[in-house]
Amino acid sequence: MTHLEIENLASDYLEGLLDPASRATVEAHLTECAACRGLVGDIRRVLELCRSAEEVDPAPWLVSKILLATVGERKPTLLEQLTALFRPLVQPRVAYPIAMTVFAFSIIINAAGLTLRNLRFEDLNPRTWYYRADRAGHLMYARAEKFYYDLRVVYEIESRFRQLRGQSQDQEEQAPKPAAPGGGSTQGTPPGQTQLASTEGSRVEATVQAGWASSAVGAQSGLARAGRSQTP
Amino acid sequence: MNQDLELLKRCLTGENSAWEDLLRVYTRKIYNLCYRFTGRTDEAEDLTQEVFIKIYQTLRSYDAGQGSFSTWLHRVARNHLVDHYRRTKKDRMTSSIEDDLATLEEKPSPGVEPTGHVEARERQELLQQALDRLSPDLREAVVLRDLHDLDYLEVAQVLGVPQGTVKSRINRGRLELARVLKRMEGVRGPAEAGSEP
Repeated sequence: MTHLEIENLASDYLEGLLDPASRATVEAHLTECAACRGLVGDIRRVLELCRSAEEVDPAPWLVSKILLATVGERKPTLLEQLTALFRPLVQPRVAYPIAMTVFAFSIIINAAGLTLRNLRFEDLNPRTWYYRADRAGHLMYARAEKFYYDLRVVYEIESRFRQLRGQSQDQEEQAPKPAAPGGGSTQGTPPGQTQLASTEGSRVEATVQAGWASSAVGAQSGLARAGRSQTP
Repeated sequence: MNQDLELLKRCLTGENSAWEDLLRVYTRKIYNLCYRFTGRTDEAEDLTQEVFIKIYQTLRSYDAGQGSFSTWLHRVARNHLVDHYRRTKKDRMTSSIEDDLATLEEKPSPGVEPTGHVEARERQELLQQALDRLSPDLREAVVLRDLHDLDYLEVAQVLGVPQGTVKSRINRGRLELARVLKRMEGVRGPAEAGSEP
């Protein structure tokens, strides 16, 4: 086999397109001829270089440019139009004020006691909104005030109980212990002291009732004041 | 293949989205073909656009019996590239091979071991410069076969020549490419040529 024949068969040999007999002949020549071995090696390298070559990326706008040159400006679909319409709403600078507005309106509607399902003409009057909101505010204030006074009454009762209990204990300690008669029990309570204790107990109850009554009157007067101020 | 025909049918009924899909599938391939022929990205972009305008205008002339749509597309692109080559022959005469070689010599040699990415990019540049030095007949055959992975029959259909001629051109093209690469590496210096496998 000549060098020229090897040159002509080099590509077929490297791509495995030769029949077994031709292949064996080429391989036999290559083992003997260093020049042809070098040539086949160079072509193999070219093949490797070409096959490892990566594709070049076109500019991203190329498809749009071709589209514009062929079909002209494309009409956007309905979905694309809707998406384009609502795209600004997703931006934080637009979405945040919208959310705050909705929040503010929901508060106003709640405060004005409006039911959106049964809207009447007078419900649309801002004056009505104002009066209802004012009424709701005062009611809330009155409830809070009543709660506060109730708490005060309970604390007052507790503290007075504590105080009276302390006083009765002091009196018990200060009272002189009578000498126990022979054979009598020193643990027993003298009849006079029992009477004193019951008197003290009734006084405590009276005081508590008086305190309760005064607190209740205070709370009632608070509610009454709130009620008066709610009336439009 | 069937997908191409389906898209083509939709294109012919005037469905613009099908044309867009077809473009998205083939723009990259045709752009690469143009780039391998011209070696310039801006020129390749213009040529790709021109090829697709031609395709759009002659879409009805495609005959599925004469080969796949991809082969037809390559044939139209190749014909356009040949026309372009003939048109711009005069302009190219001004830039000689010596100028290109001088540019190669001026390239600074990296002092440190190049990374894989840089090495790959350099190999790409080397291949493109070697391809630019081939005659158009050999270049198109090698590009279609070795870079676009078309088989011999498809290359023959694209070039409109017998398979035997295609085989011969591809073999000669590879031999020429190997010689050019060796010569270029000789100019670049043994330090860079050492990266060969």
